[in-house]
Amino acid sequence: MRNTFVDAYPDQARFIRRVFATSFTAFAVGAFFGLIQALHRTDILRVVESPTYYTVLTGHGVFLVLSFTIFFLVGVYQWAVTDSLERRPVDMRFTWGWYGLMVLGTLLAAFAILAGFVESIDVSANTLFTFYAPLQGHPIFYVGLVLFVVGTWLAGADWFRSWLAWKGEHPGERIPLPTFMVLTTMIMWYISSIGVAVAILAFILPWSLGIVDSINPTLTRTLFWYFGHPVVYFWLLPAYLLWYILLPKLSGGRLFSDPLARVVFILFILLSTPVGIHHQYLDPGIAEGFKFIVMTNTMFLLLPSFLTAFTVVASMEHGARQRGGTGYVGWLRALPWREPAFTGMALAGLVFAFGGFTGIVNAGMNINYLVHNSLWVPGHIHTQVGTASALTFMAGSYWLVPQLTGNRLVGRSIGLVQVLLWFIGIVFMTNSMYRGGLVGIPRRTAEPQYEGFQYEVAAGSVGELNAQLAIGGILLFISAMLFLALMLLTLFNRDSEPVDNRTIPAPLSGPEDSPAVLDNLKLWAAIAAVLVLLAYTIPLASIVTRGGLFGPDIGPFPVTIEGSGSIELVRMGLEFALETVSR
Amino acid sequence: MRIHTYEKLWLVAALVLIVGFIATITYGSVGLGISMIDDSEETLSPDEINDDERFGEPRVEQVGENEYEAYVVAQTFIFQPDPIEVPANSRVTFYVTSRDVIHGFAVVGTNTNTMVIPGEVSTLTVEFDEPDEYGIVCNEYCGDFHHTMEGQLTVVPEAEFDMTELEAEADDEVELGDETTVTATVENGALNDLETTATFEIGDQTVEEDVTVAGQDTEELAFTVDSTELGEGDHDWTVTVDDHEESGTLTVVEDLEGEDETGADTDGANGTDEDAEAGDTDA
Amino acid sequence: MRLTLPRLLLVIAFLIVILVEFRTVLGFFDIAVPFTTAVIVGVVVIGALVLWSLLSSGEGSNE
Repeated sequence: MRNTFVDAYPDQARFIRRVFATSFTAFAVGAFFGLIQALHRTDILRVVESPTYYTVLTGHGVFLVLSFTIFFLVGVYQWAVTDSLERRPVDMRFTWGWYGLMVLGTLLAAFAILAGFVESIDVSANTLFTFYAPLQGHPIFYVGLVLFVVGTWLAGADWFRSWLAWKGEHPGERIPLPTFMVLTTMIMWYISSIGVAVAILAFILPWSLGIVDSINPTLTRTLFWYFGHPVVYFWLLPAYLLWYILLPKLSGGRLFSDPLARVVFILFILLSTPVGIHHQYLDPGIAEGFKFIVMTNTMFLLLPSFLTAFTVVASMEHGARQRGGTGYVGWLRALPWREPAFTGMALAGLVFAFGGFTGIVNAGMNINYLVHNSLWVPGHIHTQVGTASALTFMAGSYWLVPQLTGNRLVGRSIGLVQVLLWFIGIVFMTNSMYRGGLVGIPRRTAEPQYEGFQYEVAAGSVGELNAQLAIGGILLFISAMLFLALMLLTLFNRDSEPVDNRTIPAPLSGPEDSPAVLDNLKLWAAIAAVLVLLAYTIPLASIVTRGGLFGPDIGPFPVTIEGSGSIELVRMGLEFALETVSR
Repeated sequence: MRIHTYEKLWLVAALVLIVGFIATITYGSVGLGISMIDDSEETLSPDEINDDERFGEPRVEQVGENEYEAYVVAQTFIFQPDPIEVPANSRVTFYVTSRDVIHGFAVVGTNTNTMVIPGEVSTLTVEFDEPDEYGIVCNEYCGDFHHTMEGQLTVVPEAEFDMTELEAEADDEVELGDETTVTATVENGALNDLETTATFEIGDQTVEEDVTVAGQDTEELAFTVDSTELGEGDHDWTVTVDDHEESGTLTVVEDLEGEDETGADTDGANGTDEDAEAGDTDA
Repeated sequence: MRLTLPRLLLVIAFLIVILVEFRTVLGFFDIAVPFTTAVIVGVVVIGALVLWSLLSSGEGSNE
């Protein structure tokens, strides 16, 4: 008898389908913007004016790394919690509520960004997704971001609520691994997203509304990066969840070690936040000592990823041997390479390992001088979030979407072509980016062609690097569109057989092999908070002492049109809302 | 907790690798003397830049034998000074600040790279061995025309590098029979004394004068011109000190009634300038 | 076919990727492989692989 997720939890499946649809819509827009950029900056085809490039770039950043990834995360986590606790949320209205809030936030931010294309609307937010003050976007942009983040907080609260309800029904039991991963991720997210919330609510939003005149750019920047590094783990951890939970099953076996998976996620709670200053190695106003401390913390963050590499490969090998694989490397041939879900995840893991080494270069405070803000950095981010996360999400969807719809996946072999195209495309594009970065081509620019000098490319030429980047970008775009087409076709596929069943096999080494203290979430949260205080109290105090809370009289530099009536409108709206709440 | 033997081995190997990375990076920073951009400089508010001793006039200054300091201001969408000129075989400390938003200051193809944050001053010391030409780019998005923000850094051969500046001032017109004076100001930005000869030429007359300008000091030279010797008409003059040259034209007239006319000319020129500026603002 | 179609695609993808990265590695050792050379090598190697996979087994229809 068929046993899919949608058979067991039809309302949950419907909810997750909606969440995925939102995620994939953002993906479609973001991918299209990416194509425009790849062709624009290489000067192959320029469909927009160069100042508009930054509107496109802001959209690419926000829609892909915030909307696409985080909507996918909440979808996968909703699946993981429901499936592993075997229960529905306590109150489904609350679940729809946080989803609605996230959508509202996204729409507001998207409106502020996209209005940048339309001159007649005096709204824009060409701040890029890092919104470094004193660049100033329209307040609606910041309000949207805040609502979105609050939505994710409520999502976390919802999952904690489900877990507490489950705990009441199952006293003394270990937290099921998928739920454990969800809860630990959310603890990390609560600790880290406070930074961006404070940056926006206390400083940037009041300043964009004209309530305060000035800002301390180092402070808001530091608060951004306090959140900005953990957020990359927020993109990555759902991929980790799929690698730990789904990949072993797809390989034909079971997870190697449940205890080690728990240790890995705990390490992420502890270490992912007190490292943010490594994005600020080249910032003035932060003492060298703090930079050294975060460098060592960052290196220790390699540990959970190394452990993951072991467990994931070991689980794959176990699966392959279950399928009849033999030999030291011969077992690789026994893996189900024709399954896009498996192949996509395996390739994503491979690219992630490679990208990890480029990350070590970024984290090396001395070598960082060479690559900081060069094209190398987007090379790194595209191998990591752009492949380790994005390709895993796509591969995961090839298994998850049939589970959520009860429909057979359409075009399995096209799916294989799709993940292979992504793999080739990303290597073409990021290889060019890494090499371009090393010769000094900057990131985040519409026209990296300058009048006063030429880049000295060691092997090859800038033209060739550009061609390679553009080919990579085009392949990635084709791959993204193929993926979306397959998802649409699967959604409307009438054919419901065969679909895999939803059961996840138990790990070889189960939770009983690990001490119960691993499940003491309060303890880990407390230690993480202490580490964050240790790492950030002195730098933040020093930044505030130097520049003042609201800065040394630094005025706004709007990348939105000045004297805008719509800012007044937002301000009045917010004041009204605050008054209503305070009554 | 039960951990598989291979897992333990892997764990230990991973930790060794991590410690190895930390050791390498520490050596690469401390051992090789690559220090981080830090908080050693006082803060400087953007609206105080114009009155600041160092950044009020962005420039390169000599501070020691083969040691220089460059005070650079980044603003949308330029760097000042541009180009930055330093001698080969020198040690240059860049002090960079921003007048408006966050910028980057990167010497293309090198590891000379820093963020430039308004309110803060970034410092980085670089050694230049060989003469070369580099591009400077802003590598942090700073607004609509971010992609046009570039500068140049020229490392000139030591022998060709000089920090001498010459200015000359003179009347435009003089009445036949009067004397007038052409004043030349020689500024020596270097630390060492500058011993050189200033040459003044007007008509077919040549005056040479030896001059010694103390390190980081200025000297004024006055060349007196007797209009009677020149006679009525336009006379081109030049002041030359080393490779620097200033020139102008002196008109000797019978009597100074043409003054109004000259005044009107000047006004006209100013008027054009203002128009141009107004045009820019509109755009 | 010697290789099933999915495997053939996988091997081709890996070959392309290895070619691109290997060329970069050679670049670090100051061995510059021109763009056209790399493209020709790629086409020849992949072509040979496809031919081998299609022809050598003889019957060619057990995919």
